[in-house]
Amino acid sequence: MTPTRHDDHPLADALDELRREEAGMETPSHVEAAVLAAWDNAHAETATRRRRIWRDAGAVAAAVTLAIGLAQLGLQLEQLTQPAQQSENSRTLLLVGEPILQGEPVRMVRMRVPASTLTGLGVRPVTGMPGEHIDVDVIVGEDGVARAIRVGR
Amino acid sequence: MRDATRTTAGDLTDSELMRRAASGDRDAFTALYQRHHAMVYRFARLMTGSNSAAEDIVQEVFLVVMRDAGRYDPARAALPSYLYGVARHHTRRRLARDRQFVAFDDGCGDAAQRVTEDDVNATLERRQALQRLRRAILSLPRRYREVIVLCDLQDVSYNDAASALGCAVGTIRSRLHRARNLLTQKMGCATSSEEDHQRMSMRCAV
Repeated sequence: MTPTRHDDHPLADALDELRREEAGMETPSHVEAAVLAAWDNAHAETATRRRRIWRDAGAVAAAVTLAIGLAQLGLQLEQLTQPAQQSENSRTLLLVGEPILQGEPVRMVRMRVPASTLTGLGVRPVTGMPGEHIDVDVIVGEDGVARAIRVGR
Repeated sequence: MRDATRTTAGDLTDSELMRRAASGDRDAFTALYQRHHAMVYRFARLMTGSNSAAEDIVQEVFLVVMRDAGRYDPARAALPSYLYGVARHHTRRRLARDRQFVAFDDGCGDAAQRVTEDDVNATLERRQALQRLRRAILSLPRRYREVIVLCDLQDVSYNDAASALGCAVGTIRSRLHRARNLLTQKMGCATSSEEDHQRMSMRCAV
């Protein structure tokens, strides 16, 4: 919807002439320079602020990484100082016969054998006396031949 | 590379330029300025009657664009209407602060340079008529001055003027009608008073 021309012709003519004269008016160039300088200043400040934020974030990240590293180091040192307890808690895996091939179907059979039997195989049970029975897991290949024996606690 | 980017920015829509300016694209902001500074300047100049005030208002308007480009919603108003709205706000503040109008100072100087010996009288009469019209416009109440400046001098549509001034299209129409009547009265009075003044001067000279 555009403005309609009003009926007062002398006024309309005068307004037309003023509009034509005003159409030639341009903002002085120093205004553009000032506006763009304000833009540059504002964005330079923003960039500085961003750099400061990244620097602070980097410091925080470094501190967190250091703390995690120290915690892990402490954990490892703690583990190293308790090797005997660790071996007691672990299970012994004795490989026998052919190695287990990648993707080879196997079955696991749990057996209860005398501790002396294991001693004969060269495995010293970590628990139990020589006359006692020990639970072992025997890993049997598809051909029925044992592949490995795992001795539990 | 820079020129190529600038050419591309110049081809974009106002909304896209505003979006890019909001994300820190200097070329987009420059393109916005180059596209719209003149209309803001003319509006402010006609509203205040002062070149220096108009320059300040142009700066303030584009500082707002720089700061709030991200908040501009093209669904609410076209960018020119938005800019007129911001310019109007700063014009009001400026006028309230100054409490007086400053006379046009640059136009007469330019006119003096353009005057030739052949049409001195015609040019001077034309300049005087334009000065009378400017003064008459500046003496209008602000709400009437705004519609005259927007609709009659800046060729803004009724819809866009309504959007810029935050009122109904019917209000724009009625204000414009009233403003033109007031202007006609003032121009008539101004002519009469000047004629009277000339007659008085002649009498004094005699």
